[in-house]
Amino acid sequence: MKFIFKLTLKYYLKYITKLVLLIHRPVIIAVAGSTNKVFVKDEIKKVLLDKGLSVRVNPKNFNTEIGLPLAILNLPSGYNSFKNWLPIIFKAPLAIFQFDFPKYLVLGLGASDPGDMKYLLTIVQPKISIITDITQRYLEGFSDMDKLVGEYEKLADRTKKNGLIVLNYDNIRVRQIGRKNKKATEFFGSQNGAGWQAVKVERGEQGEIAKVSHNGIIKEYKLNRFGRHHVYSLLIGLIIKSSL
Amino acid sequence: MPFNRTKNLKLSTIKQIEIRASEYPDVVSLAQGIPSFDTPPCIKRRVERALDRGVVAKYSLSPGLPELRELIEIMLAKDNIYYDWEKEIIVTVGSIEGITASILAITKPGDEIIIPEPTYTSYREVINLAGCRPVYVALDETKDWAFDLSRFGKAITKKTRAILYCNPNNPTGTIYTKEQLLGLAQLAKKHDLFLISDEVYKDFVFNNEKIFSLAEVPELRKKIIRIFSFSKVYAMTGWRLGYLHSDESVTKEILKVHDSLVTCAPVISQYAGLGAMEMAEKDVIKFNQEYKIRRNLICERLDKLNHVFSYVKPESAYYVFPKILTKEKDSWKFTLDLLDKTQVALVPGVAFGPSGEGHVRMSFGRSQKDINRAFDRLDEYFKNF
Repeated sequence: MKFIFKLTLKYYLKYITKLVLLIHRPVIIAVAGSTNKVFVKDEIKKVLLDKGLSVRVNPKNFNTEIGLPLAILNLPSGYNSFKNWLPIIFKAPLAIFQFDFPKYLVLGLGASDPGDMKYLLTIVQPKISIITDITQRYLEGFSDMDKLVGEYEKLADRTKKNGLIVLNYDNIRVRQIGRKNKKATEFFGSQNGAGWQAVKVERGEQGEIAKVSHNGIIKEYKLNRFGRHHVYSLLIGLIIKSSL
Repeated sequence: MPFNRTKNLKLSTIKQIEIRASEYPDVVSLAQGIPSFDTPPCIKRRVERALDRGVVAKYSLSPGLPELRELIEIMLAKDNIYYDWEKEIIVTVGSIEGITASILAITKPGDEIIIPEPTYTSYREVINLAGCRPVYVALDETKDWAFDLSRFGKAITKKTRAILYCNPNNPTGTIYTKEQLLGLAQLAKKHDLFLISDEVYKDFVFNNEKIFSLAEVPELRKKIIRIFSFSKVYAMTGWRLGYLHSDESVTKEILKVHDSLVTCAPVISQYAGLGAMEMAEKDVIKFNQEYKIRRNLICERLDKLNHVFSYVKPESAYYVFPKILTKEKDSWKFTLDLLDKTQVALVPGVAFGPSGEGHVRMSFGRSQKDINRAFDRLDEYFKNF
């Protein structure tokens, strides 16, 4: 019974979401990878809001077959309660009439089992796809690393032809996704070869201080956060800003 | 035959009381600080999923599952606390392992650690275990158990290495103000001391105000070690899960001790922690509301016994720490007599430090029914006093 309900709900939400996306036509920025998706999404949101653009970001764990549509439709989850799901099911089609539907959707996409990404990409087609990193974090669901990387390759393949792929140059498996794909690609990282390179990172009292090199110009940025991943988020934000 | 390292250690008074209480068939215990609630279902579902996926059988990395530490960083940022999950956050076996690993890392035998008291009983044992000496500084009961900074200044010697405090405080339920904490930080900075801030009750606040933590101050990050536990906030005492964070220069040393002691926190519990942080927010709000009701209930019942107890109304946690007004001021004798005559278990105040003598700790982590049962017996017992 529970299985049938979940399956019905999954496809119901999928088709409502596809219809909503067809009507509102938002620009979709997909953020995928083993780590750092939340901070990258926050950084992109900040960049878009600074430009005066409307944006909706999916909450952390709303990145799966049911969570993603809910995030796009701006609805909560009913979790394990049939009673909680009822009003959500009724409210879902109302998203068609949302007058304030955002121009940009920044969506984290989760891939913890084979086929997860393929399914999510039947719901959304990103204009910009970002792969933050690929580590062994979610490897348990896959027979080997190649299969896990394959999930992210699907994301690059499904990105719009006139779109942009943003990849972590420091991770060789992520870097290789760029070589296999002919779409416009930007690389970020700390190694030579990254188009947006953190050439020097120092820890200040208030956060990381990063010197970023792009097209031969070096600029310094002071962050109020600690950790290398926040420097990556900064670089991704700069790429998005330059692409608008 | 006490061994050299254990000769100064005592089994926690709370556990001693619980052992004695278990001998009475109809005991009502307001002694141990255990939430009456079960772990929320969403956490259990997350654990079931992890079990099904076969990911709990192996060790995690010593500092903890990356996804859990990343989530902890995200949650900390909501409280204006910024730490790097990769290098500055360690998932521990409850808060006490985090405190133990921290003290073992930052001290050498013979060092002194200042503890504002009355406070959590196990601090003393952990400090002794590390070969250090606990130095008690009395909180000011006349000012609702606030810090008296001048007393801290007098207690600092050349051997002082750290100040270990619990905020909100167990057993008094006191929340230290921002001004008091910044004053303490200034003192610590002047004498180059570490501050160990145990904040396991931070989510149970009855006036809906956010608790200030010194970990919010970036300039203090090299000198503050903040400790948190999943036990109380998510009703997960049995899962034994907590975390600590500090500057990388400190955590890399604590990690060596943590690795030596436990290798890693139980992986199954780490998945429970993920479920808790992802989905149990509503449960925490529900628990907090219920504790507020129980706090009001226990205070109402104490008001009716105002010839036996006086008390400071707790602002947080789930304890009240009334003063004994009867002739018997020895809190051990008082609680043992009470246990024997009424089969109500309380914790003697002396367990929480010298200033706790003449008091008892009552937990309202227990259900309203238990609180009422205990107080019905106390009312009956004390009606002729």
